[in-house]
Amino acid sequence: MSDAYPDLSLHIGSLVLRNPVMTASGTFGYGLEYAEICELSRLGAIVIKAATVGPRMGNRPPRIVETAAGMLNAIGLQNPGVDLVIAEKLPELATHGVPIIANLAGECVEEYVVLADKFTACGHVAALELNISCPNVEGGMAFGVCPEMTAELVGSVRAITDLPLITKLSPNVTDITEIAVAAVTAGSDALSMINTLLGMSIDIRRRRPLLGNATGGLSGPAIRPVAVRCVWQVYEVVDVPIIGSGGIMSVEDALEFIMAGASAVAIGTANFVNPLAGTQILDDLIAYCQTNGVHELSEIVGVAHG
Amino acid sequence: MVSTECELLTSQLVAPDHYVMQVLAPEIAREALPGQFVHLRIPRTMDPLLRRPLSVMLADKIHGHLRLLVRSAGRGTEIIVSLPPHAMLELLGPLGSPFPMPDEVDGGSEKDVLLVAGGVGVAPLVCLADAMRSLDDTPYIRSMFGASTEDMLVCWTELAARSDEFYVATEDGSAGEQGLITEVLAGQLKRGHARVVYGCGPAAMMAEVARMSAEAGVPCYCSFEQRMGCGVGACLSCAIGAAGGGYLRVCKDGPVFSADRVDWEAIRNE
Repeated sequence: MSDAYPDLSLHIGSLVLRNPVMTASGTFGYGLEYAEICELSRLGAIVIKAATVGPRMGNRPPRIVETAAGMLNAIGLQNPGVDLVIAEKLPELATHGVPIIANLAGECVEEYVVLADKFTACGHVAALELNISCPNVEGGMAFGVCPEMTAELVGSVRAITDLPLITKLSPNVTDITEIAVAAVTAGSDALSMINTLLGMSIDIRRRRPLLGNATGGLSGPAIRPVAVRCVWQVYEVVDVPIIGSGGIMSVEDALEFIMAGASAVAIGTANFVNPLAGTQILDDLIAYCQTNGVHELSEIVGVAHG
Repeated sequence: MVSTECELLTSQLVAPDHYVMQVLAPEIAREALPGQFVHLRIPRTMDPLLRRPLSVMLADKIHGHLRLLVRSAGRGTEIIVSLPPHAMLELLGPLGSPFPMPDEVDGGSEKDVLLVAGGVGVAPLVCLADAMRSLDDTPYIRSMFGASTEDMLVCWTELAARSDEFYVATEDGSAGEQGLITEVLAGQLKRGHARVVYGCGPAAMMAEVARMSAEAGVPCYCSFEQRMGCGVGACLSCAIGAAGGGYLRVCKDGPVFSADRVDWEAIRNE
């Protein structure tokens, strides 16, 4: 047992995050919604809700349905567009002293380039996360299921920004390692995984899909074993940091991801259940390291591979 | 808004599948305004996973008690209503935008307020009537409560006790007028003197309340339910259609909306 504060820092390209607990895009808004009850500056980073070039109204309700130990969502990338996000959300979030990671969702390479350019120029963003895996809009997953398209997209964004680049991978593929390698070879500094699993639920009373969009993205504890498996597979084929996510509710869950190969974790659905999940998992991770003689988190990253 | 652990004091069956839970939550009781809600975490389980939004029926600021009306309608609410006294609950709240008080509504010089409740929708209207009772300039409160049967006039005495006039309609005629509560509202609107109409109940009822109020030229505010995620405006799950396009967040922009902000056609069709 050691009281020394463990080194939990994490390098993503040139960016150093002081701790590895961040929030997952779409589950924490722009951080501001939680500022009243959560000390945002304690988080390693906040990944903001996905931004698109123009405003998006989002999908027809219902947009959420609870499932066994999880939930389906089909929000449909509702956001006011990158310009308003930069003008109206980021300046206030920046005052909280937490690194901001922008999540970018485009319909073509050119849109991702425009988004990357604007977020790079605004000065408030510490890193970019390329969302190539949204299951809830038409074409949202197109990039994320094809290694060649992933490489082209990452390479194009890499060419126009010096910000650290994270690619968020979809589990809705035959072989996630192919996509991971393509993203890293094209210049991605880190990988974030996993996005939601494509799913569906039927209202047997009305004999219709429960979600207005019919299909949606499954998240929560139900998908954790799938996510841990994805991290495990990708850790064996890439050398960049992996940000693990998928149903992390507790430090034990976070440790599973870390031992499978994640250097950081993103807290998603847990924010809905417990808005203080991120900071509590961080506290518990520090306590775990102290109790177990872990001085640097890197000592246990991927340790399950033997 | 606070995230707090609080003690369940009592849980009482008040109608088939309906319970009134009394909770010791001083911080929330002190802040809560009529129409606001609390987001209750289901204790000790990840399945069911999500919190349940419950509107505040009464907030006793002196004793720090909250009274919540819960309809047991699925696995989550079944767990909630079967909790024993002294169980500890995690509450997030108070959340959402409250009902405006009558003096905040542009209703001319009229003095009467009309409250229209359907089923479990009575809860926030009890809270509203209670708050209006303690105003310096107490309005004249005419309340209406509709349900399928007499059994389902949940907590009607709570609303009746805080109203100057109280009317009831049931679909089977087991109490009050036989028919829909909107038929009672039609007569009340015809009497005139209405400054504002407040409604909470099934979507079809509220759509009709909104239409009739607009026709009578009386401002109308309705409180909505929707499947909800975060409860604080972050996840955009609890959207309902907005008049003129786009969506409103029930948890943050609402649950109370001025009726003219809502796309009633979309709500009827959902």
